[in-house]
Amino acid sequence: MDYEIILWLAITIPAISGLICLLMPSPKAALGVMCAAVFLASLSGIFAICEVLPQGRVLFAAAGWLFMDALSAYNLFVMITVFCLSSVYACIYFKEEIIHKHLNVKQIRLFTCLWCEALAAMTVVLLSNNLGIMWVGIEATTLITAFLICVHVSRESLEAMWKYILICSVGVAFAFMGTLLVAASAKSAGLSAHNLLLWTTLRTNAVHLDPVLIKAAFIFLLVGYGTKAGLAPMHSWLPDAHSQAPAPVSAIFSGFMLNAALYCIMRYVPIIEISTGNTSWGLDLVAGFGIFSIIIAAAFILFQTDLKRLLAYHSIEHLGIIALGLGLGGLGTFAALFHTFNHSLCKTLSFFAAGRLGQIFGSQDMEKMSGSLRISPVWGIGIFCSILALIGIAPFALFMSEFQLLRAAVDKGAIIALILFLLGAGIVFVGALGHAIPLVWNDPQKPTARVKTNAVEFTLVFAPLAVLLLLGLWMPETLAQALNTAADVIRQTGGTTILMPGGKQ
Amino acid sequence: MNSAIEIMMILLVLSDMALLGLSRLRTCISIVSFQGMLLGVLALTMQLSAITPRLILIAAASFIIKGFIFPFLLRRGIREAGAQYEIEPFVGYIMSVIAGLAMLGISFWLGAKLPLFAANTLLIPAALTTLFTGLFLIIARKNALNQCLGYIIMENGIYTFGIVSVAEIPLLVELGILLDVFVAVFVMGIAIYHINREFDHLDSDRLNILKG
Repeated sequence: MDYEIILWLAITIPAISGLICLLMPSPKAALGVMCAAVFLASLSGIFAICEVLPQGRVLFAAAGWLFMDALSAYNLFVMITVFCLSSVYACIYFKEEIIHKHLNVKQIRLFTCLWCEALAAMTVVLLSNNLGIMWVGIEATTLITAFLICVHVSRESLEAMWKYILICSVGVAFAFMGTLLVAASAKSAGLSAHNLLLWTTLRTNAVHLDPVLIKAAFIFLLVGYGTKAGLAPMHSWLPDAHSQAPAPVSAIFSGFMLNAALYCIMRYVPIIEISTGNTSWGLDLVAGFGIFSIIIAAAFILFQTDLKRLLAYHSIEHLGIIALGLGLGGLGTFAALFHTFNHSLCKTLSFFAAGRLGQIFGSQDMEKMSGSLRISPVWGIGIFCSILALIGIAPFALFMSEFQLLRAAVDKGAIIALILFLLGAGIVFVGALGHAIPLVWNDPQKPTARVKTNAVEFTLVFAPLAVLLLLGLWMPETLAQALNTAADVIRQTGGTTILMPGGKQ
Repeated sequence: MNSAIEIMMILLVLSDMALLGLSRLRTCISIVSFQGMLLGVLALTMQLSAITPRLILIAAASFIIKGFIFPFLLRRGIREAGAQYEIEPFVGYIMSVIAGLAMLGISFWLGAKLPLFAANTLLIPAALTTLFTGLFLIIARKNALNQCLGYIIMENGIYTFGIVSVAEIPLLVELGILLDVFVAVFVMGIAIYHINREFDHLDSDRLNILKG
């Protein structure tokens, strides 16, 4: 079986379908093409993932420029989950807007086109072996998603878009500087022009790279990709963009775009660690940014009035938690990857609920939205349970991954990190619960009629919740194994069997 | 050849200082356009002994995009917005130039610290100064057009750093990067157009509805 074609398909299907979306005559047709494209691309992705994850194989394509190892396969799986759910949700969300004439055909065409292109760009990030192309992919996601924020042109959305595009472009430019520094050190190590930026060769030759250059590079990379991942103190664009974008867009922003940037940092971690002689210099930096993000997010969560901004700060907190796990190493890496999936699924659901409730109440102000459970029981349960899961209530999977992270911190003896993490999580717990209870249980401010929900909406709420609950109670053997193989790509102990690109194994 | 590179680097640093000290947007755009053309020539001069079609393609592309297309887009932005001057920057013009000199000093110090191979000692500091100048302009100016200019200048700095330290980056990667920067400026241009239509000004300091 030639897997080269499959990797290509995962990128080209959404890229071409995006252009087809522009030609569609009606909103319905455009949304249909978009969903079909997402599912087809997901199918080819799943096909490759099934080959990579259980057997620990590495697939190469395009003379070693594209590849898929366990880490990219796992992240691709998370992305596919987020995109499939969000595409179905987008149809429901926009049906409402089209009925009320908030959107015209042109806007829908543009939206569906950009949505598909965003999927293609993120797939490029995950499948690219060349670190330069990976950078191109990240910058492309910024540019493509900028217009998704202001599908509805308003003063607020324009402000959010301007902040997003300027801060992220500048941040990602820093990451490019870092990429150049890595290339410069690879050049002084004597790698040929073709291999200069290939991750697989850099990884095998990491010992020969100049540590001073690599350290300088990693600072640029961390600040650059960290901006896109929403790590504090470079997070200032994130709450604005997440709150102003339409709910399906917020869901993919929070559910996967941030993770895609963090994935880039994950790729560099083993190279940095090996070349600096396993002193955990780079890991400590990542953990530091993680803890700072948790604390900053916790402080802002206490005083939020806007539901989507609250969820946006939750994203900063959880990306901080993932970064902290990554920085702790060992079991922490495993916990970080597990948390990635849990957070993405849960955050996608919470933005779905926030978006639909926002449409029903015509506002995102939590005070005006009180009594959600009476107006729409399904989405009310959705928002309440997802906030419970986000703050780490026991049976949900997010609790399990955070618990593993605590164990990793104890094992490593990182007491300060442990205390600060618990402090941050405690503040978030109190703050978010204080917002969530009146939001769901109070009496509605204005008497509003109960809103009916159909079977698809019902599934969109309860399927993710069921998965989160199940993973919290029982971790399947295959998943644990997959997570371990993916974590081994980052931890330098295992996974050194990756060979030179181009060779079919 | 070495003296030619030296002159180009001095011109690059001088243009940075001019950008920090000038308030007229049109003049700033002309200087950035000059920088873009300078970098196109620099890419060729660096490898004078081994000019390949690939090198010519990259140099020509950046020469045309940065020297002509960006200025054209930005000038159109000025015409539509009717914004000729930066009215009240966060940091005054004299202070900006002083900050620029400080950045030059830091760049020389950093350039000496990094173990990079470069043909000339001026190359890395000049590249870093340009990078910092762009970043400074984005932070210190309020006008959205000026911030967009700052982004281009910053990108110029990184581009210089790239051709100086790693000229061997594969063609496909380099074209991808150029395309991304091009689209970024294009998208910023569209955003500026919308902002101007909706708010009737380009003062990013007054884009302050969203808080907390």
